[in-house]
Amino acid sequence: MANAATESAIGESAIDKIDQTIGESWIQKVTGWVFSAGGITICLTILVAIVASIHKGPYILVNTVITGGMWALMAIGLALLFSVMNIAGFAHGEYFMAGSLTAYYVMQPIGKYNLDNPGTFMAYVGPLIAILAGTLMCAFLGIITERLVFKQLRKRNREGWLLNCFLITIGLSVIMQNGHQLIFGADFKGILGYWDFPSVPILGVYISMDRICAFFIAILTMIGFYMFMMFSTAGKTIRAVSQDEDGARMVGISVDTVHIMTFALSCGLAGLAGASLLFMFPAYPTVGVMPLYNSWFIIILVGFGNVAGSIPGGFMIALFQVVTRSYLGEGWEAVVPVLLISFILIFKPSGIFATKVRTVWDE
Amino acid sequence: MLLEVKNMDSGYGFLQVLWDVSFHVEEGEFVALIGPNGAGKSTTLKTISGLLEPQGGEILFKGDEIGGLEGHLVCRKGVAYISEELNLFVNMTVKENLQMGAFTIKDPDEQAENLKFVYELFPRLYEREGQYAGTLSGGERKMMAIGRGMMSRPSLLLVDEPSLGLAPMLTNEVFRALRTLNKRGATILLVEQNVGKTLKNTSRAYILEKGKIVLDGKSEELADNEHVRKIYLGH
Amino acid sequence: MANEYDVQKKGIAKFLDYLCLTPLGAIGFLILMIIPFFPPFNQDYLLRWFILAAIMGAGAMAFDFSAGYIAVVNFGFAAFVGLGAYTSAIVANHWSIPLPLAMLCGAFTSALLGLFTGAISLRMRGMFAICLTWFIGIALMGLAIKMVWLTRGMLGLQTPYFFPPGVSNLYYWYPVLGVSLVTWFILKRIARSHLGLAFKAIGQNMDAAKTSGINPTRYRIINFTVSSALAGWIGAFYAHFIGILTPDFMHTAKTVEFLVIAYIGGRGTLWGGFAVAFPFIWFTEMLRSNFDYLPGINLLIYGLILILIMIYYAGGMAQFFQYLVDKYKDNPTVRWLTT
Repeated sequence: MANAATESAIGESAIDKIDQTIGESWIQKVTGWVFSAGGITICLTILVAIVASIHKGPYILVNTVITGGMWALMAIGLALLFSVMNIAGFAHGEYFMAGSLTAYYVMQPIGKYNLDNPGTFMAYVGPLIAILAGTLMCAFLGIITERLVFKQLRKRNREGWLLNCFLITIGLSVIMQNGHQLIFGADFKGILGYWDFPSVPILGVYISMDRICAFFIAILTMIGFYMFMMFSTAGKTIRAVSQDEDGARMVGISVDTVHIMTFALSCGLAGLAGASLLFMFPAYPTVGVMPLYNSWFIIILVGFGNVAGSIPGGFMIALFQVVTRSYLGEGWEAVVPVLLISFILIFKPSGIFATKVRTVWDE
Repeated sequence: MLLEVKNMDSGYGFLQVLWDVSFHVEEGEFVALIGPNGAGKSTTLKTISGLLEPQGGEILFKGDEIGGLEGHLVCRKGVAYISEELNLFVNMTVKENLQMGAFTIKDPDEQAENLKFVYELFPRLYEREGQYAGTLSGGERKMMAIGRGMMSRPSLLLVDEPSLGLAPMLTNEVFRALRTLNKRGATILLVEQNVGKTLKNTSRAYILEKGKIVLDGKSEELADNEHVRKIYLGH
Repeated sequence: MANEYDVQKKGIAKFLDYLCLTPLGAIGFLILMIIPFFPPFNQDYLLRWFILAAIMGAGAMAFDFSAGYIAVVNFGFAAFVGLGAYTSAIVANHWSIPLPLAMLCGAFTSALLGLFTGAISLRMRGMFAICLTWFIGIALMGLAIKMVWLTRGMLGLQTPYFFPPGVSNLYYWYPVLGVSLVTWFILKRIARSHLGLAFKAIGQNMDAAKTSGINPTRYRIINFTVSSALAGWIGAFYAHFIGILTPDFMHTAKTVEFLVIAYIGGRGTLWGGFAVAFPFIWFTEMLRSNFDYLPGINLLIYGLILILIMIYYAGGMAQFFQYLVDKYKDNPTVRWLTT
């Protein structure tokens, strides 16, 4: 199973060896990267962001940065599912919805308390409790999903795994959306805001505290996630399983445990995004549809299974959406980014960061 | 007996590959399992190491039944499996791969000691410490795999076709390393197609053909055996 | 000893075989034809359910032709159906041509899209092709919403009915059965031919198929074009039955409906989806009229059944049917019915 990856790696190694003997300077390395597909796209994105912000106003940059961080988190969750468990998550948006819903209900009593008792400790911490609740609930739901559904499938039928899982996640999506509607109603459950503090002026625009906090939550989570994956034992086991499942077994790693952790992480991240953005996206049954599309756009843009690449990818997709909406009007963000991503799919399926598509993709 | 396999059947679903296979390995031995392609040698190792579930028979390690036990639990009992595919973590460095090999060792001092041991055995790995495992050459990757397996200080080493795809000089190096490990106390069950070198380096061997053990005995004696000489040694 | 009766029987049997219908299938079809005359099914609103079920069932068959054979799930399927619907409606509205001709225009447009999609998903493996069809579906729906000058967007496009409004649904029942039968005929004939064999080979193992000399691209294009053409044709019928079209008919959620029906019916069997569509639509409509305080519960149940089927009983209802047939295959009646 590792063969295709090693094959391409051997090709790489030959070039590496030549580079090592010639001695590539760091200037060459940087220019090499800048002119790669990934580099060009990132530079282009930054350029477009700046130009559009100057032209249409700083809200472009602000909206991109705020939502981009959250879409990046969701895409990381989706990429994790792909790289570790080879699951195509079509229900990912529903975990966003679940996080949103949980945060809403937890915020109800907290919000009321804050209204009656302004300026207390709860005014600062309350929303964090709601967001945490959303995250944990989704992590929990993820674990249940893994144990009840995917573990059973793995026991019974390993053939056509990718397609079967995809279909199962469709079923999950349908259940969760309709379950929400049935139990909690189809109405929009929104909040006026999390943190009742005055907006902060940045670059001549007043940005609400909710948005600023969402941004910092995203950044902190990304840093935390990176450190977890790189330095913690659990994180290393997840990375090991994503690279070689049998190899992980051979060194004593319980792949079963890793699967549970992966699902918990993946769905937890989606829930975090949903909960943090409750002030922007109220909770209703189909609120997860757009986040689902966005996550998929991102992972196709950066290459399936590329977890790190999802971070710049998130901001890029957010920019596409914001700029399309701004220049072409409402509704076109369902068309233009889709066509762009289709181009990538056709001409560069390994994504702009040329993620080496694993053999298991060749089903 | 360190490892005792009794009447083991194994295979992949409806495809049975091994029939009534029995053999044993004593502590400190260097034993070989030889046979042609498709005989079921890899299946044997995969079943013992827990990557495959046996369909019949018993597998006893240090007296405990390990047949059907999951791969990571077999590893924790002290069995290290060096597969033919190597199963390296290609996007981790050599050092990280070795550290992952010591996953079952909790004591950091012991981990450091094991790392030192492996670096002594394979100085080339120490040179390439920070290099990504996916960029190593063929011989280095085999050493990487063996080194990673040794990091958990296993009681039993299962090695699957280490010489496959290697130039003769590197093959000698690998066998030398295995002999060294054996001398230092590691019990090794080796699966190989290169019969000549294998019989020279091991003390005992079993011949596996079409999923059944057909011959066994001391390696020296087997090298003189008529069947072995005709089929495997070409004279 | 040949006699008149034998020759006649051979004739009918040969005819059924040509239509790719087993005696059981033919009996089922006949039942469908006469059922509107028997209470309690002789009520007009119930007949509407039947018609919708037949439409969904025929669509499920076209969907299964791709998903069950070449293992490519057309995840934008509803958009292909909708494209045919909108094309037929627009053409009929603007140029007052006979509706069957308009329907063919719808089929043609969708066929073109299918051809295009099949062609550009050239080197793609399963998952990528699925994503592409998904995005095409999303883009099409978005276009349908935005191009208000053509489609009237979310306001809805009025479509000319086949028959004057107020007429009994019975007038639509037989045409829809005709559409279903033609769909079945075309799909099953192809499936039985060497084309169908090639499709299945590609669906099972792309690499093995290639080494056997099958060019997966060419067959994928053919498969998709046929599937899309029929999807468009069925959609066109729907347009002239329902009277008004809105873009949300092209939503991924609608594709999921076709998908669920096809997979619960039994992937790769074609008829499974058609059969299962009837209890499904029935159940949906019945819940909608009697239990409207439980919105969406039908979908929830379908989702649950889909998951259970994927894990425990991948062949769906058709597999269960086959199990019954195999169990009682010593019974001569059963044997006669199913050959």
